[in-house]
Amino acid sequence: MKTKILVANRGEIAIRLIRAIQELSYDAVAVYETPDKDSRHIRIADEAVWLGAGPRCDYLDIAKVIKAAKRSGAAAIHPGYGFLAENPDFAKACEDEGIIFIGPSSEVITNLGNKVIARRIMAEAGIPMVPGSDNLAAGDEGVETAIAFAAKYEYPIMLKATCGGGGRGIRLIENDDQMREEIPVARAEAKSAFNDERVYLEKVVIEPKHVEVQIMADRDGNTVHLGTRDCSIQRRNQKLIEIAPSMIGDKELLNTICETAVTAAKASNYFNAGTVEFLIDKNFNYYFMEINTRVQVEHTVTEMITGIDIVRTQIKLAMGKNLSFAQEDVQMRGHAIEMRINAEDPQADFMPEGGKTVSVYRSPGGYGVRLDGFVYQGFTIPEVYDSLLVKMTVHGFSWNETVDRLRRCLQNFVITGPKTTIPFYLQIAKDADFMSGDFDTSYLDKHPDLFNYDDQANEASKLANLIAEIHHRGHNPYAA
Amino acid sequence: MERIVQGTSPADLVKQLQNSDGYHITNTARDLSQSDFKNRILLHTELMAADSRERAGYFSLEITGGASVHVDILRKQVDPFLKLEILREKMPTTMFQTLCRGVNLFGYRPYPQNVIRFTVKEFAKYVDVWRTFDFMNYIPNMQAVFEEVGKAGKINEPCICFSTGPEHTDAYYVSKVKEILEVTGEDIVLCIKNHGGLGTPKRIGELVDSIRQKYPVLPIHYHGHNTDGNDVGRIVAAVQNGATIVDAADASFTGFYGPPPILTVIQTLKDLGHHAATIDEAAVIETSEVIRDERQHYDQFESQIKGFQPTVQIHKLPGGAMGSSLEQAVKGGFLDKMPDILHKELPKVQKELGNYWSVTPGSQILWTTAVSNVEGGERYGNPSGDLRNLLLGKYGPFPFYEPDEWIFEKVLGSDWKKVLEEEGGVEDIGDMDITKEKEILTDRIGVEPTDQQLVLYLQHPNDAVEFFKFEDKFGKVHVLPPSIFLREGGFDPEETISFVDHTGKEHMVEVGPSNVSEDGVTSVYLYVDHHQRIYNFEPDLPEGATARPVTMSKEEILDLAKAGDVRASFAGNVCEISVEEGQEVAAGDKVAVMEAMKMQTPINSEIAGIVTGISAKVGDALQPGDKLLKVDVDE
Repeated sequence: MKTKILVANRGEIAIRLIRAIQELSYDAVAVYETPDKDSRHIRIADEAVWLGAGPRCDYLDIAKVIKAAKRSGAAAIHPGYGFLAENPDFAKACEDEGIIFIGPSSEVITNLGNKVIARRIMAEAGIPMVPGSDNLAAGDEGVETAIAFAAKYEYPIMLKATCGGGGRGIRLIENDDQMREEIPVARAEAKSAFNDERVYLEKVVIEPKHVEVQIMADRDGNTVHLGTRDCSIQRRNQKLIEIAPSMIGDKELLNTICETAVTAAKASNYFNAGTVEFLIDKNFNYYFMEINTRVQVEHTVTEMITGIDIVRTQIKLAMGKNLSFAQEDVQMRGHAIEMRINAEDPQADFMPEGGKTVSVYRSPGGYGVRLDGFVYQGFTIPEVYDSLLVKMTVHGFSWNETVDRLRRCLQNFVITGPKTTIPFYLQIAKDADFMSGDFDTSYLDKHPDLFNYDDQANEASKLANLIAEIHHRGHNPYAA
Repeated sequence: MERIVQGTSPADLVKQLQNSDGYHITNTARDLSQSDFKNRILLHTELMAADSRERAGYFSLEITGGASVHVDILRKQVDPFLKLEILREKMPTTMFQTLCRGVNLFGYRPYPQNVIRFTVKEFAKYVDVWRTFDFMNYIPNMQAVFEEVGKAGKINEPCICFSTGPEHTDAYYVSKVKEILEVTGEDIVLCIKNHGGLGTPKRIGELVDSIRQKYPVLPIHYHGHNTDGNDVGRIVAAVQNGATIVDAADASFTGFYGPPPILTVIQTLKDLGHHAATIDEAAVIETSEVIRDERQHYDQFESQIKGFQPTVQIHKLPGGAMGSSLEQAVKGGFLDKMPDILHKELPKVQKELGNYWSVTPGSQILWTTAVSNVEGGERYGNPSGDLRNLLLGKYGPFPFYEPDEWIFEKVLGSDWKKVLEEEGGVEDIGDMDITKEKEILTDRIGVEPTDQQLVLYLQHPNDAVEFFKFEDKFGKVHVLPPSIFLREGGFDPEETISFVDHTGKEHMVEVGPSNVSEDGVTSVYLYVDHHQRIYNFEPDLPEGATARPVTMSKEEILDLAKAGDVRASFAGNVCEISVEEGQEVAAGDKVAVMEAMKMQTPINSEIAGIVTGISAKVGDALQPGDKLLKVDVDE
């Protein structure tokens, strides 16, 4: 019997993982909650286990997922991203049950998941970091520490939940009054969101670039990096567009950052795939932010420019192999851009379009385009999960070629039913700053005009709308 | 002689006509469309005809005015200004002509002076010849238009409306010409507007001759309709007696109520020794050939009743009103009563109401009154607001005699003398606050309107707003041919529709399947420029959103009104809410105005009290029994 690997996730990443599992001649076991019963990841998998009615509780239920793995006889679990991916208890449960967890050890996840411990490890390794505080003490003492910190480093200051992540549990503080007001609120929020009320402070880097480094490490401590990604184009701290490699012209600097990432990974005894995130300020100072102990949504851009299948490598490492390549074997070629095509209305503050049915799905193809999605024509988007429909990654030899390809692919991408981010991305693909590679985390705020696209159909489809109505009614009601 | 070209000054034009070696022809495409096709001939068809019409050498092309401005926005979904602009590009030489109802302009009732002037100013940018009439032949009603046309350097063509009967003498009409010339001066073309095609050739010949005797160099333009099949006879008589210009239309589209065929006129007069000046006969023939195939797509708008109507000499309904009155009769289910209405009641009403001219809006008043007299049981028992205004003299004085007192009493009430004294006379309509109207329109459409949009809005407020919204949603649809725009029964599976949008881009639409979901939503699949698009349509409202059964009788509605619960007493649109909440009203005070079949009717409170709740707003389409507002007895 073939070895089975359980995929503890849903949506596009589940399919991405299943593909790699099947390519390695393992059997893929999918899990699902009821709202996902029509999801394509179930059909692609070799078998599927129903976890429960959901939504979002069964995918997060460690006991149920472990039980599903045991019952199906899976030897390993790939958690993907989100859900249980960075939950050390889950990694621990796998370890305890003798199931291979495809990712770092529970100890590494614990350490790196705790921002304060992570910062301590990095400080010891001499990694440059944004000035930050320890966890703030409860009550007035914590507030006084915070005020003193602000006096030293100046506002604005970020107040962060120690166990937060993914853009959640972060608030911007501009002055002392706000600091006094927000600390208790942030605590209460962290308590309810992460079941951990601890918070700490970080100096704000103004309008930074968000650059991250993909790293891979085997059990023997061989650690390589797969170059940089720029994830600066975000809304509300959620990434929308990712690019590899970073467009920073200073190759020396990028190389230094990559080596720093390797140092950081080694310092934390990292194993498997991970991402070291940095902020880069206007003067090209770089600061360590955090290590994500999972496969990232945007791993595809790195795969495109390096030719290395990150998920395949993850599985092989977890299954006991060592890295089959050294740092000097990693070659970067060209540029890749990934856009997250979400069922959202950018013009309505990215309001999700869940519940709608994809009535037309026509994807672009041809040279240099890769799609990682899970929707199909006729699929009704569940309202209870995230709005990511498909990731479109384009690859080109030069940046210009890549952007041209991006534009072509967006123009050829037709999804009707829900509103999507496609027309908005098309605006970006035509924007002069984007086309010249000039963007940081303030990009969307500084380009409000990008939102002024005509979502109304063009003249031809307006007229076609009348034709449709004449057809439907059997006469033209506007001429009667 | 040289062709008459667009841009010629009135003085030069009159001189050219006086020295002409023949007679001239106006192609009355607008009148043809209005009389025989319920005004539905689309710009697409007019554009097909544009090239040969331009070469044909007409005095003018009548292409706007009358009811067409309204129907352009209401049923053809085309901007009347854009229409003229596009046609002008294709026809740089030919003069464009309009038909203007004077103070009633392109609508159905008097407009404020500043609105009239603003409207003329905007349209005069495209329109060269202004044929202006007043249905009471009351010259002051046309003065503002004359002045604005003069200011714009365009041609005034004032009309004398023609009818028959003992009062309609040559002397009377010659005196009207005199009145006109006193106002306009000599550089005009005079039009004899024979809207129904009344009178015999002999009668028209005599009239033209009488005017010529008195004003030998005044160019006369004869306009008639072929309702009785004999307008060519009248045209011939007019030309033989010295008329300079006559009206006719492209043969392949001629019907029973509009103008006669141009070529027939040319051929007949040629044999009588009259030369059609500047006309290129081949181009005239070509137009008919070019558009002939399009006619089939307008079939649904042609009259239900075929054949000429020589009885027009009895009922006198003008061409444009024939088709619409028959349509109303079919919709209203009184087609069987048409002979009575047309041949007995209408002539009677005409005589009773002063034998004025049966042309818009006067023809609508006669028609509605006749229908209501026959349908309602009691003659003049249910007078419309416009009939009331007619008797009050709002449209101008009766030309020959006033109606009998009993009619005044029926329409204005027992104290009619007092009412007449207090409210009678030509209404001096104060200027409208156009700036304020512009703000209202801005508010309604969400963007600042252009002057042209504002003009359309001032003519037909609700319909203009609907049109702007339509254009926003569906684009510029005048590019669609009638075979698409007026298609009945849907398209064939896989039918391919191609069109060039207003920016000149070619498009192709392929018709795909339709399916209906469980909740009744129909999805129509189209391939637009090879991209699939889906258009969803909510299920139709159950029969009744448009034609709900009337559940309340007239008596019930009246009973409610007496209790202060004011409801719509007939199906129509609210065009005015005359009161505000909290306002005190007396019994008989006007609280709202409703409009149906182009006629406005005031809704009066039956009781005195305070307005407490307004349920309807301007533009609402109400059915009998629908709530308008409440009046609470003030205690």
